[in-house]
Amino acid sequence: MNIMKLFARNLVQGPSTIEFPFGPAWTPTHLRGRITFELKDCIGCRACEQVCAGGAIRFDKTPEGLRFMMWHNTCVFCGLCEFYCPTKAIKQSDDWHMAHPVAKMYEMAIREVIPYVTCTSCGGKALASAPNPVGVEPPFSAEEIEQQRNLCPGCRKKALEERGASS
Amino acid sequence: MSNLIQMITEKSRDIAARSPWIYRINAGSCNGCDVECATTACIPRYDVERLGCQYCGSPRHADIVLITGPLTARIKDDVLRVFAEIPEPKVTVAVGICPISGGVFRESYAVHAPLGQYVPIDVNVPGCPPRPQAIIEGVAQAIAIWRERL
Amino acid sequence: MLNTYPLAVLLFPGGLFALVLGLALKGVDRRLAARLQRRVGPPLAQPFFDLVKLAHKRTMVPDVAALPVFLGAPLIGAASMMLAAAMVPIAGVYIPDPIMGNLLVLLYLLTIPAVVLMLAGSASGSPFGAIGFSREMALMLAYEGPLVLVVAAVALRTGIAQGGWVSFSLTEIIAYQQSHGAFLFDPVMWPALLAFLAFYPANLGIIPFDIPEAETEVLEGPLLEYSGPALGLFKVMSALKAVVVLSLGIALFFPLAPAGLAGFLVQLVKLFVLMLLGVTVLRVSCGRMRIDQAFRFFLKWPLALSLLSLVIVVFARGGN
Repeated sequence: MNIMKLFARNLVQGPSTIEFPFGPAWTPTHLRGRITFELKDCIGCRACEQVCAGGAIRFDKTPEGLRFMMWHNTCVFCGLCEFYCPTKAIKQSDDWHMAHPVAKMYEMAIREVIPYVTCTSCGGKALASAPNPVGVEPPFSAEEIEQQRNLCPGCRKKALEERGASS
Repeated sequence: MSNLIQMITEKSRDIAARSPWIYRINAGSCNGCDVECATTACIPRYDVERLGCQYCGSPRHADIVLITGPLTARIKDDVLRVFAEIPEPKVTVAVGICPISGGVFRESYAVHAPLGQYVPIDVNVPGCPPRPQAIIEGVAQAIAIWRERL
Repeated sequence: MLNTYPLAVLLFPGGLFALVLGLALKGVDRRLAARLQRRVGPPLAQPFFDLVKLAHKRTMVPDVAALPVFLGAPLIGAASMMLAAAMVPIAGVYIPDPIMGNLLVLLYLLTIPAVVLMLAGSASGSPFGAIGFSREMALMLAYEGPLVLVVAAVALRTGIAQGGWVSFSLTEIIAYQQSHGAFLFDPVMWPALLAFLAFYPANLGIIPFDIPEAETEVLEGPLLEYSGPALGLFKVMSALKAVVVLSLGIALFFPLAPAGLAGFLVQLVKLFVLMLLGVTVLRVSCGRMRIDQAFRFFLKWPLALSLLSLVIVVFARGGN
């Protein structure tokens, strides 16, 4: 009978159960997991806030700068923020260990501030975000990014014109 | 003598904590999280019976409650009634982001999220839907909390 | 030989011993079922953990429930099965005290768990309990017929062969088989054996016949409103019932065993083999039947087979 052959095969092959939680669990490499945010790459375009399906990302203008806040408990792990970010400052890692007791509910968040600085060229108020790389040919080098970071928007535009690349 | 009784009680609590029974409540969910919960129950790959868990058919038999879904207006009274039927001590696990914050349905007029304002939740498992392994991790944390409440 | 009956009912072979044995059988059954499905499965002592856990929870009683019946039903069920476990002899090891009654009393005791389940279902006051009540009643009506006829056939065979008419004493049945060969190898008794093999899954509540307590269909039917220690008593009752029914099957058809400790070990081996082959493999390979399918099944083949065996036994006098 087929079922008996099936049972014999099952007993011989042994369980197919994964080890977790008594051992590590296999994770695929491109798993859409927990969001990570690199402050130094963020250009402040707020595209991720617009496309976020779960409404997890919020930008606020505070006296210290532009505050980025992201709450993991509303993230639907869709990956749209990573898709639309021009510098891939916001990315999805493959970390899925996010179960937490409810007391830590509001600690499951990313809170970063892009600070206001003084413009090195004109002395005005500038946001220390990375420069927008879209349409810039040839692409920015690391020193140029750091230079542009400390310029106000007007001075950034002048520097780009001098560089000969405009978007 | 009282030391002995206390030791026996502690030991019996340890033994009792090895048999948590799970009950699922669908509070208006899209069924994504329910499919993942069913996966942890039925698929040999993610066997929760190793931990002593068993999906029971009646809320009266349950110890750990898995709640999925934002609390829709239509089902709210029924969910609260069924939740009250579950005997203490119990531990509530909110599976998916819908019970925690409303998820993608947070701005709907028909949704009474977050669930935490009606029902005391103990463990959150974010994800949309969370991986079966993440649900098992949440259940393991819930078992540890339940052990303390026995 | 132990034959003081209070000790027998409470300690060995009824009561505590039967409870531990029943829970161990259940643990092995769950573990093997998991392995047959390529899962790991719970630890072997899991049913014990379940009982301890149930003792820690509280029993909630619904407002609409009939309280005396609601709380009394599991007590009656567990007590009846504890007594029944002390009434089944173990070949070569234990002879029950004749004051406890013979096979007829055991038959009546065996109907008590089903009746208790029905009472529990209707006393709960919930509609699912009522459905469970009606399903359990239909199933019990279906499988009691073959059981009574099988027992009558075995009793007739033993009685006629010894020159009398009928012998309802299990001790005599076992003694007869020990001297004349087990009924398992007796072609005259094979229809009765087949009928018994069809009866015991329904009695023990095993797939394909676990219809009244179906989890996914009627939310566990009669047991829906039970929690805590009352539910634990129902688990105790079902564990004891498994021991009683399997031991009864062994005593009726294959009680050959040496005396003393070896006989006791042989009985244990037989119980485990019967559990693993008869219960676990059956449970894992079938789907659940509908109540009307199960009812019709029992009214066809098991009833016919048991009637046939009764007729054959009456007309097959001669031989020894």
